[in-house]
Amino acid sequence: MLCNRLLPRSTARSAFRNPSSLPVVVAPTQLSRWRRTYASASEEKDLIIIGGGVAGYVAAIKAGQEGFKVACIEKRGTLGGTCLNVGCIPSKALLNNSHIYHMIKHDTKNRGIDVGDVSLNLQQFMKAKDTAVTGLTKGVEFLLKKNGVEYIKGTGSFINEHEIKVDLNEGGERTVKGKNILIATGSEATPFPGLEIDEKRVVTSTGALSLDKVPESLVVIGGGIIGLEMGSVWSRLGSKVTVVEFLDQIGGPGMDSEVSKAAQKLLKKQGINFKLSTKVVGGDTSGDKIKLDIDAAKGGKPETIEAETVLVAIGRRPYTQGLGLENIGMELDERGRVIIDSEYRTKFPHIRCVGDVTFGPMLAHKAEEEAVAVVEYMKKGYGHVNYGCIPSVMYTHPEVAWVGQSEQDLKSQNIPYRVGNFPFSANSRAKTNLDSDGFVKMLADPETDRLLGVHIIGPNAGEMIAEATLALEYGASTEDIARTCHAHPTLAEAFKEAAMATHSLPIHM
Amino acid sequence: MFSTTRALRQAAAHAERTPSIRFIGRRSIPESIDHTPRPHPASPSGQLPEGFGKNGVGFKHANFSSYRQHAQQHGPLQKTIRSSDSIGAASGSQLGAVAAPKGAFFDVSELPARFHRQPIPVAELEAVESGGASLFG
Repeated sequence: MLCNRLLPRSTARSAFRNPSSLPVVVAPTQLSRWRRTYASASEEKDLIIIGGGVAGYVAAIKAGQEGFKVACIEKRGTLGGTCLNVGCIPSKALLNNSHIYHMIKHDTKNRGIDVGDVSLNLQQFMKAKDTAVTGLTKGVEFLLKKNGVEYIKGTGSFINEHEIKVDLNEGGERTVKGKNILIATGSEATPFPGLEIDEKRVVTSTGALSLDKVPESLVVIGGGIIGLEMGSVWSRLGSKVTVVEFLDQIGGPGMDSEVSKAAQKLLKKQGINFKLSTKVVGGDTSGDKIKLDIDAAKGGKPETIEAETVLVAIGRRPYTQGLGLENIGMELDERGRVIIDSEYRTKFPHIRCVGDVTFGPMLAHKAEEEAVAVVEYMKKGYGHVNYGCIPSVMYTHPEVAWVGQSEQDLKSQNIPYRVGNFPFSANSRAKTNLDSDGFVKMLADPETDRLLGVHIIGPNAGEMIAEATLALEYGASTEDIARTCHAHPTLAEAFKEAAMATHSLPIHM
Repeated sequence: MFSTTRALRQAAAHAERTPSIRFIGRRSIPESIDHTPRPHPASPSGQLPEGFGKNGVGFKHANFSSYRQHAQQHGPLQKTIRSSDSIGAASGSQLGAVAAPKGAFFDVSELPARFHRQPIPVAELEAVESGGASLFG
């Protein structure tokens, strides 16, 4: 009988620790002091993202949407990375407003608009840019919060393959642990050997976005997209701009040669000087003006040019400084890019990498695509980015945009093609806008009419390239485009007519 | 709605040309995917380094030594003595510090007090031994 009333050992122990399970005859206050407390294990995240730029924040939002526990580490203090803070967004604000300023100054008379004195308020000009940037970066922060992402402001570095030490911006440090880790640390401007960048007189694109006065003269080293966009801004505001480019064409090697030549001609008309096939061999910043020693790319034509400000825009390089990759033996290629496989995995399958810091073109929209795909690979096991179908845009005026293969690409690979070309000078909307420089060039397979590449120079090219990208992604033929109804009068009709020109004849030419 | 559908049907019936782009139906999710590491499509070399991706949990190590280089148990297990060295071939300084690294401890007693094993009081022992009867005494 007594045995039946005895409690098993485990029950007795738990009853001892948990007074609520005991009869009321036992005073719980006496027992509460025996209760033990245990240290709780620190929370392990499903995904830790290092970098809150376009790649990082898009991956964070997508992962949050997929139900992951996510932490995003960013050291800048604002989200959006180079693109939102010192790249695409502020440069577009300056390009748009400088274009309006330039139009008001030089292109109103023939439109029947008489304008009085026009002057530039550079301080307000920059404020408008900053307002756009602040609005967008705060918007991204809200989206992270909305999707349950923990935003950690600090510098992250690998302790081991699963743990990241964060030196917090507000002081102190913290360690976070993740089942998966995504490296999305982006890129930085490549410095020019022999020229010390002070972001005042010798600037990268970052400094060129916030000069405190319009320089009397500006030399741009590098005739790629960044150099030409920033050169355009300061040229429109009154600076005498010279672009020095090592290659024999502007716009970088990806731009179609015919388009590149047309762009150079139109930019020259706007007042920008070009020195192509020219290299900068040295610089002297000691005087009032910066002296640059230049020479022909092949040598033999030394010359010295002077400028108040020099913009170094020779490209960008992956940014992995302070990331502690050496602590885990991460593999980088000869250009400092993190080596990944087709599913964005590094040599450690749970550490993945996307954006500028790894392979592919350094473009924000490519990074966004990868960010979505990498989370899909983690969650579902498959994702998709078509690297043959990533558009490029140069936001000068006129804009230049392209997608797919260029004529020189096709020639070098001995791929047969047919060209369809339609000028904006024959497009009704461009004519009414008095903005008809440029053309649409379409490349198609001669047998099937399948679209191979589209190259546009002209008004709104950056928007129009979306139609080309969609057609290319779907594997459309130029006949499909030509038989699709386009609204009249629109600039997009030029796109349709170029498609017609590849297999038949355009109507309005 | 009905008239739109009829108009579309009529248009389809009279179409003399089928566009290259065709609707292929609802999306299908691949049933099995091969996740073997393959070169990234934008990789300039089009190759992966030797042994790439073999650091994963599921990777079968060729031998225990290789496993030990990557395994973790309360911290990395990798060896401090190279396999090529015989015992005594390396000086003490080469072998590294004798003290435990920061954040690691040799014994529970070196940990902060809150991690120590808590003493079991006599009353608790009695409660266990008596099957709980002592709690009512």
